[in-house]
Amino acid sequence: MIGQVLGHCRITAMIGEGGMGVVYRAYDEVLHRDVAVKVVKKDARLEASAGQNLLHEARASSSLAHPNICTIYDVGETDGDLYIVMELVEGKSLQTLTSGSGLPSESILRYGIQIASALSRAHDRGIIHRDLKTSNVVATPEGLVKVLDFGLAKRVGGGALDAPTLSFSTLQGASGVSGTLPYMAPEILRGESADARSDLWALGVVLYELAAGRLPFEGRTGFEISAAIMREIPKPLGPPVPPGLWAIIQHCLAKEPAQRYQRASEIQAALEAVQSGAIVSPDAAADPSVAPPRTTILHSVRHVHVKKGDFLLLVGTTKGAFILRSNLQRRRWEVGGPYFHGHAVYALAYDPRGDQPRIWASTSSYWGTLLRSSDDFGKSWTNPQQAPIRFPSDTGVSLKNIWQITPGRPEEPDVLYCGVEPAALFESRDAGETWSLVRGLFDHPHRPRWVPGNGGLALHSVVLDPSNQQRMYVAISSGGVYRTEDGGRTWTAQNRGIRAMFRPDKYPEFGQCVHKIAMHPSRPERLFLQNHWGLYRSDNFADSWVDIANGVPSDFGFVVVMHPRNPDWVYVVPVESDQFRCTCDGHLRVYRTRNGGASWEPLSRGLPQKQAYETVLRDAMIADCLDPAGFYLGTRSGQLFASGDDGKTWQRIMEGLPSITCVRCAVVENGSGAAISAPKASRAAAPSKSATRSPSRRSTRR
Amino acid sequence: MPLLFHIPGALREFTAGRSAVKIEHSGGTVYHALTALCALYPGVRDRVLTEQGQVRQHINIFIGNEDVRYTGGLATTVPDGSEISIVPAVSGGKRSEQSFSGIAGPESLSQRSQRHSSANSAVKSCY
Repeated sequence: MIGQVLGHCRITAMIGEGGMGVVYRAYDEVLHRDVAVKVVKKDARLEASAGQNLLHEARASSSLAHPNICTIYDVGETDGDLYIVMELVEGKSLQTLTSGSGLPSESILRYGIQIASALSRAHDRGIIHRDLKTSNVVATPEGLVKVLDFGLAKRVGGGALDAPTLSFSTLQGASGVSGTLPYMAPEILRGESADARSDLWALGVVLYELAAGRLPFEGRTGFEISAAIMREIPKPLGPPVPPGLWAIIQHCLAKEPAQRYQRASEIQAALEAVQSGAIVSPDAAADPSVAPPRTTILHSVRHVHVKKGDFLLLVGTTKGAFILRSNLQRRRWEVGGPYFHGHAVYALAYDPRGDQPRIWASTSSYWGTLLRSSDDFGKSWTNPQQAPIRFPSDTGVSLKNIWQITPGRPEEPDVLYCGVEPAALFESRDAGETWSLVRGLFDHPHRPRWVPGNGGLALHSVVLDPSNQQRMYVAISSGGVYRTEDGGRTWTAQNRGIRAMFRPDKYPEFGQCVHKIAMHPSRPERLFLQNHWGLYRSDNFADSWVDIANGVPSDFGFVVVMHPRNPDWVYVVPVESDQFRCTCDGHLRVYRTRNGGASWEPLSRGLPQKQAYETVLRDAMIADCLDPAGFYLGTRSGQLFASGDDGKTWQRIMEGLPSITCVRCAVVENGSGAAISAPKASRAAAPSKSATRSPSRRSTRR
Repeated sequence: MPLLFHIPGALREFTAGRSAVKIEHSGGTVYHALTALCALYPGVRDRVLTEQGQVRQHINIFIGNEDVRYTGGLATTVPDGSEISIVPAVSGGKRSEQSFSGIAGPESLSQRSQRHSSANSAVKSCY
């Protein structure tokens, strides 16, 4: 190769050999300058089209004029091999500089800021590096850093992979994964595509390596390394690494992309802040990121003392939450709270799975929306520093509210779902430690045409089919009902037969303003639906719906609740109209059907029947699973009613609360609890107590 | 010259109880100053900014008496020695979001907090 001319560059010497190819020193005989020429190894697996893509991307990368990006001057082909002519950078790679021992903090910050700045420029132009690592960053004697090989890793396939990666790639069948394993982000190992945040992960690995002199995730084999990346927390870096720098590295190395920095410019600014010596507060030495899990202990709030066999009501309001305790007679109530003083609590859930029952709450205020939990019946609540549910940056949207918290099936004790506004579904598979957006639904082509209802564009109902782990339903105001048959990967609109009064086409494929759906677990093919005008039943997994508003004073309403044992018994609370969202004629009446909607009967004994212009919001009514069944409803005027006899008679158990948004209930069993906020299939079919509890739910708290 | 952040009561849980935090700063923007604050006290970030990096709808940031919403937002340059206040806005509840216009400067904030000292102490007792 020495002496050969590629384009107008004469090769003068070999500089080195890497995974991607051989790098030569060359002399540009037209522009009279020294350059580097990288000849990319010919790879049988590299198809002609892939070669063209590499050329295309190299050309795109050549547009990245930035002082910290090694400039690409030219690309071409010789004898089928690709070559790239680039700026000749005289210096040492960061890998060489760090081998064995960490660098001084000043150097790390200086280099880190420049790398982040380079990434920021590239990401702004839609170019992802995909193979950022210390051997791809060269530092000149003057302290200037140049990042090499931007955008080149993609499409190069196996040829770009270094030794540990090759073993990985072999094991995985070389499925187009590119990069270098110790720097690969967890989402890439999961088979998801890389985005800019995968580069930010790699930057975290680089910063860690510069600080520690070793990689954060190590192993003898590709499997061990990838297992460490997926699951392990890197060993903490103490002095002399500044706490601020360690905090930045940790933030880069969050396993979920959504939990990381979202932009390279954020990392640059954070590193600059540490570099500027920034913070002069006396406790600057304290590392906030390694503080114990953040929990808020409520000292001045009245708590209920819960023991085995107690019955609990969880009540969310627009200004806080309350926990009511009773025994199984459900006649006298002790009240705890208010929790989350002044915050709106639109969703509560009782999760009995695991060693300790857990109460979940969504709280919303000026300061944002948070998902919080308590393992001690409200005495203390998590208060995470970083919001656990957040939209990825590429969506461009921000969380407004969490409308529904749904624990997964008993056999999936670490699974949880949250329905949120703007309409989207989030899923956790580690008992709420981390959450991810269900992209199959979010990227649905219908989504841009969903429109907000009066309460916002909310995904407010999540219904799991207990007989089929792959099937679930969500309901969206105003988007309609969607069903997945493959665990959330794909979704179909299931609204045939449901009217949309507010549209010229009364029966659209989607866009209905569904207020609530309910299913009895013993009849998973059957669902009931309270629409914005309209009461419906489906007997075929929501493939089609029939009108069942036979004898209700209005078919407008919000709640629809199943009886815990009888799948033909359904409860609704009609309100007059969408213009006047109050109970009809000043009577607060629950309507019950005992024949699947063929006819309805009013239940009013004990409920106010004079000037009772009330509203029961979509999550403000629930049934327990005791016998006879208890029903609980809260009104927008802050009254809480209970029935202990299947709804025949009611009593007011609280009044004067803020507007009630959500009511849930549970029986506490054996020091832990069994949620009964949803009816069980039947006594015989109900999972055993041991099956409803999970030893595997994580005990760690955020 | 350092700048001084005034921290509202609701965020002091995340600033080790501090009502004011000094940050060494020169010539950067509000974004840089906030980033420096959040590097020290990470819990502040998600309370003040959305996950997309925008200031939350009902949170106002003032440099002195100027609301940065009207001076370039997070890109506003912060003069050395400035005082930055993070202030929850005044609004009448969820439904009034669209018509919200009641913005209070730091002076009126202090007057308001005197008037509503009982509400403030209630918030503190909650945390």
